[in-house]
This record gives sequence, C-alpha cells and structure tokens, in this order.
Amino acid sequence: MLKKVIGAVVALVLLVGLPSFIYALTNNKLSIGYNKGYMPEQPIPYSHELHAGQLKIDCKYCHTATEVSRHAAVPSLNICMNCHLNVNVREEARPQIEKLQQAYMNNEPIKWEKVHLLPDHVKFNHAAHVRADKQCQECHGPIEKMPIVYQHSDLSMGWCVNCHRKPENNAPVGCDTCHY
Amino acid sequence: MQTRKDTDTTLNQEKAGSPKYWQSLEQWRQDPEFLKMAEKEFVSSPLSSDEGKDGWARREFLKLMGASLALTSFGCIRRPAQKIVPYAKRPEEIVPGIANYYSSSFVDGDEIFGLIVKTREGRPIKVDGNPDFPLNKGGVSARAVSHILSLYDPDRLTSPKKNLLNKERTNRDTVSVTYEDLDKAVVEALKAGKAGVLSKPVTGPSGRALLNEFKNKFKTTNYYFNDHTQGVEEKAQQEAYGTAVTPRYEIAKADFILSLGADFLGAHQSSTAYTKQFSSRRSPGEDMNKLTVVESLLSLTGSNADERYTVAPGEELNFVMAVIYSLSQTGQARINSQVKDTATQFKAFYDQHKEAVDSVVADLVKAKGKSLVLTGGLNTQHEQALQLHLAVQYLNNVLGNDGKTVKYRNTRTGNWGEVDTLSQLAKDIESGKIETLIVNDVNFVYQLSSDHPLQSAVRGLKNVVYVGDRIDETGQVAHYVIPVDHPLETWNDHEPLDGLYLIQQPTIRPLYDSRSFEQSMIQWMTLDGATPRYAGDESLWFEYVQNYWKSNIIRGSFDNSWNEVLQNGYFDSSASARDNNLPSRNFNESALKGIKPVSSKESLVLYKTIGLRDGNLANVAWLQEFPDPVTKICWDNYLVVSPKYAESQKLKQGQMVEIKVAGKQVTVPVHVQPGVHEKAVGLAVGYGRSAAGKVADGVGVNAFKLAKFDGKEMISAGLDYELKATKQSIPLASVQDHHSMEGRQIVVEATLDQFMKKPSAGIHKHKVFSMWNKHKYPGHKWAMTIDLSKCTGCSACMISCQSENNIPVVGKKYILQGREMHWIRVDRYFTGEPENPGVVYQPIACMHCDNAPCETVCPVIATSHTDEGLNQMTYNRCVGTRYCANNCPYKVRRFNWFDYTEIRKPTEMALNPEVTVRARGVMEKCTFCFHKIRGAKEQAKQDGRTLVDGDVKTACQEACPADAIVFGDMNDPESKISKSLGNERTYGLIEEVNAQPNLKFLTKIRNTKKLKNDHAGNSGGHH
Repeated sequence: MLKKVIGAVVALVLLVGLPSFIYALTNNKLSIGYNKGYMPEQPIPYSHELHAGQLKIDCKYCHTATEVSRHAAVPSLNICMNCHLNVNVREEARPQIEKLQQAYMNNEPIKWEKVHLLPDHVKFNHAAHVRADKQCQECHGPIEKMPIVYQHSDLSMGWCVNCHRKPENNAPVGCDTCHY
Repeated sequence: MQTRKDTDTTLNQEKAGSPKYWQSLEQWRQDPEFLKMAEKEFVSSPLSSDEGKDGWARREFLKLMGASLALTSFGCIRRPAQKIVPYAKRPEEIVPGIANYYSSSFVDGDEIFGLIVKTREGRPIKVDGNPDFPLNKGGVSARAVSHILSLYDPDRLTSPKKNLLNKERTNRDTVSVTYEDLDKAVVEALKAGKAGVLSKPVTGPSGRALLNEFKNKFKTTNYYFNDHTQGVEEKAQQEAYGTAVTPRYEIAKADFILSLGADFLGAHQSSTAYTKQFSSRRSPGEDMNKLTVVESLLSLTGSNADERYTVAPGEELNFVMAVIYSLSQTGQARINSQVKDTATQFKAFYDQHKEAVDSVVADLVKAKGKSLVLTGGLNTQHEQALQLHLAVQYLNNVLGNDGKTVKYRNTRTGNWGEVDTLSQLAKDIESGKIETLIVNDVNFVYQLSSDHPLQSAVRGLKNVVYVGDRIDETGQVAHYVIPVDHPLETWNDHEPLDGLYLIQQPTIRPLYDSRSFEQSMIQWMTLDGATPRYAGDESLWFEYVQNYWKSNIIRGSFDNSWNEVLQNGYFDSSASARDNNLPSRNFNESALKGIKPVSSKESLVLYKTIGLRDGNLANVAWLQEFPDPVTKICWDNYLVVSPKYAESQKLKQGQMVEIKVAGKQVTVPVHVQPGVHEKAVGLAVGYGRSAAGKVADGVGVNAFKLAKFDGKEMISAGLDYELKATKQSIPLASVQDHHSMEGRQIVVEATLDQFMKKPSAGIHKHKVFSMWNKHKYPGHKWAMTIDLSKCTGCSACMISCQSENNIPVVGKKYILQGREMHWIRVDRYFTGEPENPGVVYQPIACMHCDNAPCETVCPVIATSHTDEGLNQMTYNRCVGTRYCANNCPYKVRRFNWFDYTEIRKPTEMALNPEVTVRARGVMEKCTFCFHKIRGAKEQAKQDGRTLVDGDVKTACQEACPADAIVFGDMNDPESKISKSLGNERTYGLIEEVNAQPNLKFLTKIRNTKKLKNDHAGNSGGHH
C-alpha cells in the first residue's frame, strides 16, 4: 500500500513538476548556471556607486576601449592615477588608495575578479553595441548604484536574442553574429 | 545533376584504363588497394584498430562523460572564477582587443622577406608579407609564416649555459652560467688572440660595421657560412667576367626561362620573390612567359614547367653544352671558335636528345635578350657545378641576356661566404691560427658530413662559444652557449640588394634571458674598454643600428625619416638604378676550356624541400606536417626513386633501404615518384635532427651526412651509392590519396594556342537542373577564385591559414589515418605517363556552396547558410555526427578526433584570439576567414564608410606569392572577384551535382604545343 502511495506521489510530481520545470526553464522564468547576481569580492573595494553615481565620472573615461574594441577594458592603473595621485580621499579609504599607488609604482597589475563571463564560443563586441546607442545600463544594470559590482543580466543566449529580435534594434540574428 | 551520358562516359573512361588525371602511381595503375581505398571514401573510421591504446576508447569515453554529467548536475553550480589583469601602465598604442601591426623582416638562408607582423596585446600572432617591399611584394613562403611558431618554440634555450666537456668532447654536462661570468671568460679568450668568428651571412650594414669593428678590436679572423652551394655562382662570375657577384635575375622580364635544375620557385634562393615575378607573366595571352625545366628529380619548378625534360644527375651540363653546340652549328648566336671546339664534344648528347635540345634552342633564339637560363641549388652541386654555372652564364651572354635579365649591379650584398670557407676554417684550426671560435648560428656539425675536417677540428679548440636559440648539434660541442634573440625579439637591418635597406623591428620583448649576437659583441668590446663607433650611451645594439642609419643612410631630419622608414619597413635608394638595362659584359671564353661531358650514371642527389630547407626550422610542427607539394608526404624524408628504377630493383613504396655513400650509411624508406629520371635517386636534407627539440628529433635521417667532401667543398649531387633493400617497410604519411574526387572534371588544362582560339578551352559545361529556389543575397556575397595558371603549388596558403585559424597539428600517426586538419589543401594531379608526367596543383578549401550539401544533412543545424553566402559552422551546436563531411562532394570538412587544444607552453601564445579554438568532437572547415570579414566591417563602420573592394583579404590570399587567389564581394560589379568570375576561363568544381560552389577555378593554361594527356591531339571536356 505504502509503495503504491509513494509511486503515485512520484508519478504526480513527475507529471506536474517536469513540464512546469521545462516551461520555467525555456521561458526565462528560471535560469541555471548563468550566475545572475554573482558578486565576488574584489582585491580593492572599488565603488561604482561613488565614482559613476556620486562623482558622475563618465563610464568611458575609465573604460576607454568601449567605443573601439570588442572589450570595454577594465582600466589600467595609470587611468586610476590620473586622479589618485593628487585627489584627497576620505580617511577610511586611504589604505586602499595606498595599495593602488603602490601597485602602480611597482608596476604590478591588480588581479580583479571577473564578474561578467560569457559562455565559451560566444563573441561579444562592446563597440558595436555602443555604436548602436545602447546604454551601459541596459545590460549591466544600475551600475551607478552598485557599491560592489554584480551580474545584473543572466547573459544567456535567450537574453541576447530577445533583444536582437526586436525590430527597432535592427540587429542580426544569424548564428555567425556571435559564434565563429 | 549528373546526366546519364556523363555517368556513362566517366565509367567508360575508368574502364578503358588509366585515368587522365591521377594523384598517385597506385591510381594510375588502378591498383586494387587504391580502388578499395577510393571506394571507402574516408580513410579514418571511429573504430580504428588501435583505438583505446591511445586516448580513450569510445565506450570509456561515454562512461567518463556520464560521470562528468552527473558531477555537473549535482555538484555545486559555480562558474569558473577568472581574473582580469589590466596593465599597470598601459602603453599608449595598445588597446585590448585591437591588433597592432609592425613592419619587420625575416632572413631565411638566402631569401630575405619584408614582413608585416600582426600583434595582439603585445604578442605577435601572424606574419604577412609587406606589400610595398620590392622583393616579396606581400608574398610569403610557408617558412616565413612558420617562423612565428619558432618564437614560441618550447624547446628554445632560456638562459646562458656552460657545457662541461671532457677532452674528447664525448660527454656533456650542462650547467647554468651568468652573463657576467660568461662575458668575463669570453673576453679573456678573445684577448688571448687567435680568435675566429664563424657567422651566418651578415646581411645588414649595421651588423657588418659592428663585425668589422669587432674584427679590428680583437684581431679575429671571420668566416661566413650559408649553405653548401655558396660561392659557386660568384666564382663562376669571377672567372667569366672578373668580378665576383651573385647576379640578380629579372624573371619578370624574361619571355622564356630555361632552368637547369634550379628550383627557383621552390627551395632555391629568393623563391618567393621569384614566384611573384614568374606568376606576373602567367596570365594567358601574348605576354605569357614560357618555362622549360631540365632536371633529374621532380622539383616544384619542374612540376610547373610548360615543357620538362629529365636527365641523369649531372647531365644538366651536357644539356647546356648541347644547346651551345646546336647554336654554334646553326650560327643563331655568335659562338667563339674555341668554345665551339669544346661544345663539339657534346655532339653525341645532342644527337641523343635532338628533339629536346632543338625545341629549347628554338625558344631561346625566339626570345633573344628576353630569355633567362638558370641553374643552382643543392641538387646541381655536383663535381662539375662550377662548369655548369659557367656554361649557363655563357649561354646567357651569347643570347644577349647579360645586363637585361641577368643584372650584375645592385646585386645582393653582405658576407655570404666563399666556396671553401669551412675547410679553410678547419685548416686554420689545425695550423693553430684559431684557438677560440665564436659561432653565430651556424649549425655546421649537423650540416657537414662526418668526414669533413671541421668536425674533428672543432673538437680540438680551446674555446667554442655558440650563439644559437637552442643547444643544437653544434651547441653540444661548444663550451658556452648563449641563447640568441628570435628575429621578432630584436632590432636588425638588412640590405638584400645594394641600396635597398630593410628594417627588422622587434615585436615583443625577449621571452627569455637571451641576447642577440650583436649585443654580445658590443658587450665584449665595451668590457675590454673599447667604445663601438655607433654605440650610444647605453651600449645597446638598437642604438647602434639607429646611429648607423643616422650617419650613413638617412639624410636630413632624422626623426621624421626614421619613423617613416619604420612605417614603410624599408628604405630604397636604388629602385631606378635596378630597373635600368646594363651593357653586356665580355665573357672570358677561356674559362670554358676543359669542360668535359658528364657520363650518365646512376647516382644520388641531395635536395632541399620547400618546408624544411636546411633544417634550421625543423622543430616547427607546422613545417613537419607540411606535405611536400610534389610528393605530398610529411613527417619523413625518403629515398625518391623513379617507377622504372623501383621496378628493376623490386622496391615497394615505404620499403626500407640502406643507402651507402663512401662508407657512410643511412636507412630510409623508398618513395616511388613519377617524373624522376631513372638514373637518379634523391634524398631530402633538413631531416634527421638529433638536438632540435621534441618535434624534429628522430624524424627522418640526416642526408647531409652522405654529402661528399672533395678536399675543398661539399658535393651533394651525382654521388655514387650502394643500395641494399631490407625486408622492413614503414608507412609514409602521404596525403595525396585522401579526399579523392574520382574521375570528375577537377582540373582543366589547355594549351596557350587553344586558349587564344577559344578562351574557355577545356571546360565542359554541364547542364544541371535544380530543385532549389535560389537564395537571395541582398547585401554582400562572398566568393573566391583561384587561378590555376598562376598557382605554383608552393602551399604558403596552407601554413598561412594554419597560423590564422589556430589549426592544430595531428602528427604522423593520424595523418596516416587521414585525419589532417588543414582547412586549405593543395591537391596535386599528374597527367600523362609516369616517366615524365605533367603536374597540376589545385588548392581546395570550403566552396561555400549556395546549395551546400552539408547543410541539409546536419541534424542539429550546426552548419547553416548566412545571408552573405557563407556556409557557417557553429561549433557549440555541433555534436559530431560527421554527416556533413560524408555529404561534402569536395571533402573539405575536418573533424577533431581528439582534443588537440592541449599544447605545450608557450605555443598557445601564437593562437589567434579572433578565432575559436575547437574542441574534441567538433567539425570544422574553412570559414572564408569570417573573422576577417567581420573585422573589416567593424573597421568600416568605425570609420563611417562602407566596405570597399580589397578591405577583406583572406589569409591564403594574403600569403599567396603568385597572386593566384582573388576574394571579394561578387554583388559589387566593379570588384576584382566579379571580373574574375566573369573570366571565360572560370569553372566550378563538380558542377553537375548543382552545389553551386562559390570557390571557382580558372583553367590552367600551358605555354606549350601539346598537353601531356593529349594522346589523340584533341582537347576539351573531361572525357
């Protein structure tokens, strides 16, 4: 008897659960393995909220390659030093800035944790999207409000294609757009 | 669709006997083994017999896959954590993701290239020819492209070493040494006097100046070595005209070229520049040149000949003299009576080869003053090599070519060495004149036969300092070994022709603790208190080069001009002087006295291959897996024999034979090669390295060992030999029968006369009907044509593609199973009889068919069509069914049977980040360099313009020294490709299956009266 009950429950769970799981998965209700919300700790707690939000520094001031290259490029230390060699900072931030200056003086790059990681075999081009007047926030979320950067979008293929398919974007949807 | 009639005739032809075009002797003979293989279509099957011994068996693989699947589903779902490491101080010119290009150069034996080097984030990743440089004009050779991989060679020496040698130099214990200690020891030895420098040719003015200073400072004796043929040509010029020059040959100005064994399109001298010039005259028409080759082995040049005659080794001399004899008899050229007497000895040879000689004479006379006779190379370096050169130059003189196609001013400069440099060095060592020897990158222990006196002399020296990129064969007998900078790591300059200066820019910092030879010289001089004249404050070699240019080459404001030179890559001050015709010189006829006929005998000929040449780049895997264009074999050298000889000696393909020359012996496999003279057997040098590194060591045998030392120089042709067949045999990794496209219209040939009457001669148009609706291509539509008349088969495209597209090397074992990965291959077809067949080369890449048969069978839509006519491959969709490869009529798809991405560090630095590195189980093929199309579009958008013709150049097209490949947008009616597609010579491959290929070919036109396959004298059609 117990066996039968268990059997029935399992069957019911499978019957209802599996289709709804598949439905959720295929309709972007549920994402697995896309690391949405991934927020690693960085070697220096750089705050976009402070720099981009409060100080209103233009994104492209630091991410210099955005307009010309496939990479937006995490800024090299000499860009940080444009300000941080002279600008006074709050007391509690001093040790971090000293760390930064030290690295610059010793010519030792800082190893940042990568936040946005596309799956293998995908090629993404920042310059093409900037040229099409896409705002950084459309993919990266409210970056100017992030004290610590996290992954805002799931960066899945469905998410890419949803946007590319919109008629107003006039974007290509062939496989070779991203995979080559 | 193939019509019924076609099928019938194809079958008839097959039945009637040998096919018209054949790829191997097995096919020509219709060998049952071959038929079985052709029927099988694919050499490799997933269930190969030794699977499981190597790599994973299928079942085990599935098992493991199951396990890892389970792990991914239940384990912690966590991305791989990666780091981003930006520059601390980013150099201004480097933008991540954007390539930088630098002009540079590369010296490959006696060939000097002007190059453009592509770098990404500071790593050089691709080498292309500098299109403006007057010699190679954008063309490159397979070797020039490959030298980028030698930069990242894992077997390079990383720091200076000291060899602890015993007296006999039999043991070796290598320890590290600091530059400080090393320099101290070297300077001490130099100060003691009796020092010598043995260097590879010093081709640059700065290097020459420095070496001169060094010579004066330490009173050294300097020796130069390039290869075994060095100095012969100069010596002939010296005897004939009184001045020792290596003439400059104007191939492009010659209407008729007669080559006597000179492989000038392959492995002889500046073959890339020569190919550029040669192919500029290969467009059929009034202006088309004609090439006749007389040789004993089949070289690449011979296989491109319009007419070709085979002679026994050494008989090239008889042939030239017979030509002179014929001229003297008919009075078509003024022949001195003395020479006439000498030439009369060759009457017997003339009578024997009357038809051939008369035909050549007719062509030579017709093109008086516009013809060119050439000889040279390892395969002509027999005992009478000097006489051969003299006779050839005499012929050039009496035909009025001297000063017109043979230029004796503004020739190559630099120290290229004398005929007997190395034996002179050995003598000087023995007489005690030299006690310390500094060797700059000359691997003579490998390149000299074991009975050469230098082999033992060098072992008796007090101090040997070797400057090279590894502890190679010569490095092993040296006390100190200094790792030398790769050419892409150091500054230098070259002067390939008098007044033409070329800059070699470094494109990366030295990867290891290496130092250029020039920097070492500066270091040693300054340590002894001298200040090199042009050295700057920091005593750097770079300062020296720059200051030399400032004082001697560039006039006026230096900084601007210097930057301009770096941008152009070269500085040409003799362009117009080189172009002028010069007066003919007076030939000293008495030099021809004493020429005697060469007796026709069975003998061994050593030759250089296009891939390995003298073996200095042997550790580059691309070059080892580079199928020789003529034999289509890679990963081995082999004894080349003619079919007749093989029959008489009962030798089979791959059978091991012992070859003995004057007591020296090697054991090699036999390769039966059509087109080789029955009295000649050939063996390639460059193989059999013992200390080159993991790739090259033990591949093949060292043929240099068999060369003969005649007391002065090395003789490499016409060697007496004994041959003993053994019972063993090994398989030779030949790619010639892979991808066979049985009996269809593959290559189309016609003679120049036929072309003049009807430009589309030879092409059989098929009637096809289509079940498809035509695709629409509103924007661009990419297409390519390859002109078979221009293509020489040099295969530079293969290596350029390999470098550009991250194509792996699979090794001999998998080549034997048909698993080579080259995206573009060069098929070689023979036609006519095996004794002296015609040869046609045909590069084959993905055709990007409009009705691509591969696309319709892919169950997962991993291969599909773009709206620009490209057949695209989506690697991450591919599940590896290989249906597409089965359905491809052109056999261009390649499958990753194993994970080829695991490569030894730092080789991965040579990978192109624009192209996906493919994993195991994935199909791949030519993409028409899709990433380059994308890059060009991106650039055009960035510049706010539309794409123009010529923006996109595929890797194969860019490399091609023959300009045979045209690529572009066929929707643009003004583009080069549209014009090329409209050419009447253009035809598609296997058009009857209606795949509508977008890679088309232009027929091969031969400037001859009759084609080799033309038994009945008719032409046209493929049956």
